[in-house]
Amino acid sequence: MANEILKEHIDNEYKFGFVTDIEADTAPKGLNEDIVRFISKKKNEPEWLLEYRLKAYRHWQTLTEPHWAHVTYPKPDFQDIIYYSAPKVKPTLESLDQVDPELLKTFEKLGISLEEQKRLTGVQSNIAVDAVFDSVSVKTTFRETLAEKGVIFCSFSEAVQEHPELIKKYMGMVVPHTDNFYAALNAAVFSDGSFCYIPKGVRCPMELSTYFRINASGTGQFERTLIVADEDSYVSYLEGCTAPARDENQLHAAVVEIVTHKNAEVKYSTVQNWYPGDKDGKGGVFNFVTKRGICLEDNSKISWTQVETGSAVTWKYPSVILKGDNSVGEFYSVAVTNNYQQADTGTKMIHIGKNTRSTIISKGISAGFSNNSYRGLVQIRKGAHNSRNFSQCDSLLMSDKCGAHTFPYIEIKDKSAIVEHEATTSKIGEDQIFYCKQRGIDTEKAIGLIVNGYCKEVLNKLPMEFAVEAQKLLAISLEGSVG
Amino acid sequence: MIDTKTNITQTILDALTASGNKVGYMPDAKVVEAIRYVEENGIPNNKHEDYKYCNLEAVFRKDFKVIGNKFNSVANVDVHKLKNAHNIVVINGEYNESLSDKISGIKLSTLANAGSELKAHITKYANVNSDAMVALNTAFCSGGLFISISGIREKPIHIINVVSAKENAVINPRQLIILEKSAEVTLVESFVSENNSGKVFQNHLSEVVLNENSKLKSYRLQNEDENSHQVNTVQVDVSRYANYNTNTFTFNGALVRNNLNAVLSGDLCESHLNGLFISSGAKLIDNHTLVDHQKPNCESNELYKGIAKDKSTGIFNGKIYVRKDAQKTNAYQSSKNILLSEDATINTKPQLEIYADDVKCSHGTSTGKVDEAALFYLKSRGIGDENARKLLLQAFAQEVIDKIEIEELQEKVIKLFEKAL
Repeated sequence: MANEILKEHIDNEYKFGFVTDIEADTAPKGLNEDIVRFISKKKNEPEWLLEYRLKAYRHWQTLTEPHWAHVTYPKPDFQDIIYYSAPKVKPTLESLDQVDPELLKTFEKLGISLEEQKRLTGVQSNIAVDAVFDSVSVKTTFRETLAEKGVIFCSFSEAVQEHPELIKKYMGMVVPHTDNFYAALNAAVFSDGSFCYIPKGVRCPMELSTYFRINASGTGQFERTLIVADEDSYVSYLEGCTAPARDENQLHAAVVEIVTHKNAEVKYSTVQNWYPGDKDGKGGVFNFVTKRGICLEDNSKISWTQVETGSAVTWKYPSVILKGDNSVGEFYSVAVTNNYQQADTGTKMIHIGKNTRSTIISKGISAGFSNNSYRGLVQIRKGAHNSRNFSQCDSLLMSDKCGAHTFPYIEIKDKSAIVEHEATTSKIGEDQIFYCKQRGIDTEKAIGLIVNGYCKEVLNKLPMEFAVEAQKLLAISLEGSVG
Repeated sequence: MIDTKTNITQTILDALTASGNKVGYMPDAKVVEAIRYVEENGIPNNKHEDYKYCNLEAVFRKDFKVIGNKFNSVANVDVHKLKNAHNIVVINGEYNESLSDKISGIKLSTLANAGSELKAHITKYANVNSDAMVALNTAFCSGGLFISISGIREKPIHIINVVSAKENAVINPRQLIILEKSAEVTLVESFVSENNSGKVFQNHLSEVVLNENSKLKSYRLQNEDENSHQVNTVQVDVSRYANYNTNTFTFNGALVRNNLNAVLSGDLCESHLNGLFISSGAKLIDNHTLVDHQKPNCESNELYKGIAKDKSTGIFNGKIYVRKDAQKTNAYQSSKNILLSEDATINTKPQLEIYADDVKCSHGTSTGKVDEAALFYLKSRGIGDENARKLLLQAFAQEVIDKIEIEELQEKVIKLFEKAL
């Protein structure tokens, strides 16, 4: 019985593993100053940005890869990666008719039909999508609707051209180019990404969404997202990712920066579904990203919600720097690893302002031969009076070959702070499954039920459309992993 | 950067070599291996993950580049003795037979005189390639102490470690304690200092072996003065059906780092690790524990409580490791801390690394202040602020103090606790 289910699951292929045949405009393999200049020139960037890239590149050369994470993987050869690959599309796009039809098909397969989005214009609950294909943002929908409210939502390179003052002011504010190895690499070679600015007092009328897809072989994806919420504003931002199934490992090293001003709130949700490699652990995406937000002024809030089911290796710590007084940071995470996947993920909450609060809920599920680690830091700086943190990290083990680990760092320098952390590790109780079975629910469904219940606290935080997708993904990722 | 690292390590290695304390019992090959490990890895500093919050290199750099290794003689240790126990006295890292009680029925000697059992056990548990401080001890250990126990001992054994340095000194005392099959004993270890006129760094290492069905209840009481630094490594091997219970109380010392590693190498055994500390002044107290579940059906418990005052730092790092074969493991860990001052720091890192699926493991840690509501309750009943706080802190500590089964020792601990508050 167990074997049958397991076999069924193993044969279950990655459903987004297709390649789109679009002529791509690519840079030669490898990295040197010329490549950095090439990318900058391709994007028609101003001088200061090129300088920034070169500064980052030179700094990157002095760094070595970090090895502290609880993951093992073959060291990527940074000279064997294509740092720029843009699908050949027409320079400006007025309507969807001008988008390469092949590309549209790709998005349809991904389940984000730009056509459909367009058709449904006017419906308030819609989502504006910025699709990043390989390295270039292809099409941003609903720009006009958003512009009426003064919301800027466009690709990063467009923002560089149209709003250089904002980019100059905020880029690198939260994740400077000196931050870490992959952030430095990203700062040197980032190709595109999304930029979002919510002006004062505006509650963004729709959810903003970015879809990332790596397509061309041997390319790395280095996108950069910058979200700025000005005073009294609110935005809910979604991010999804896919990649085709390939034998070689692909590198994804993104940077996400969030800045919130007074009374502003940003809610950032991700469903990460990069190609995880096949059942023998061959191929898959290396996901080394730096995500960080800063509550710059009082009463602001940043909330990260993530569902991590993909990637061969994940190395990701969405963090919040709580600088303003009374600011709030949240981190809700479900990380699922199966087969030979490895995930080392968690968060950092840096409390600087007074009365700052943070909540961390992390749910790890490991199956197959995978390793799943939570690594988090809660730091209460001196002077962060009456700060409060609550962390909960639970792990669920679905096979006797996998591993679940917790590495929380808690550093407290203020006596009025209250910090709590708790973690549990266990497997699904046989009595729970027995209970379901005696009520006529088969093992497979019972597991789905229990896992969904286990993750509920996090899934509840996702916007509706995403929550449905996330639940499906969980089911696919775990199908048959317990017999 | 690499230059300064080798320099300070080399300086310390040279100083230790020059202070000449060669003992015959350590196999030469191990000494060579140990020195090589220290040379390669350096004295631990905050770049080493396990010593992130406890920079020993800085301590050595500051006070122990030049070592006199001159000691005062200590003639009387009666105040430290327990009335209802066999007292064994170790002065400046050397076993002192004339001050110690004669104990019949157990094997007690220096490590050099331990005979055939030494070879079978020494360095077998504390791996020289796991930690630079273990390696340093292996390379430069003193005469040491060997105790082997069989049968059930009613009367506790009390080892008094007295340090009295005349000039700055680094000592590497070493112990090997063996409980034979079905042996039972209570062991108390006191760490005290007398008239230190120089600074002292004590790198203490114990290898403890619990054979099948044996039972060890142990206490460590650390109350040295502010010239004393201590790294205290205890490596315990717990066999089938055995029960290891240890309680660590730390009240004084400039720097105290405890590395307590319990390896549950047999099935159906258990370990209980408890601790209580108060740090004050500019002290640093660091409790590192590792419980390594290697076999199925074992149980481990941990409870650590800490209070940090003034500008002190308190650290707890607890690791629970559950190996692939260790199914049906129950592991529980709890760490609770209170900060009493604006300038004090608490760093905790409870870690779980689990490779087996049929397990129940959990940990919890909390750090906070004295409960305002409880304080108000007591004050509203006419108890002054200071006394009310004291009461609450005593209640906080009581859970660990209650675990002491020797009345005499419990009274002593309560006294020291109140004094430290």
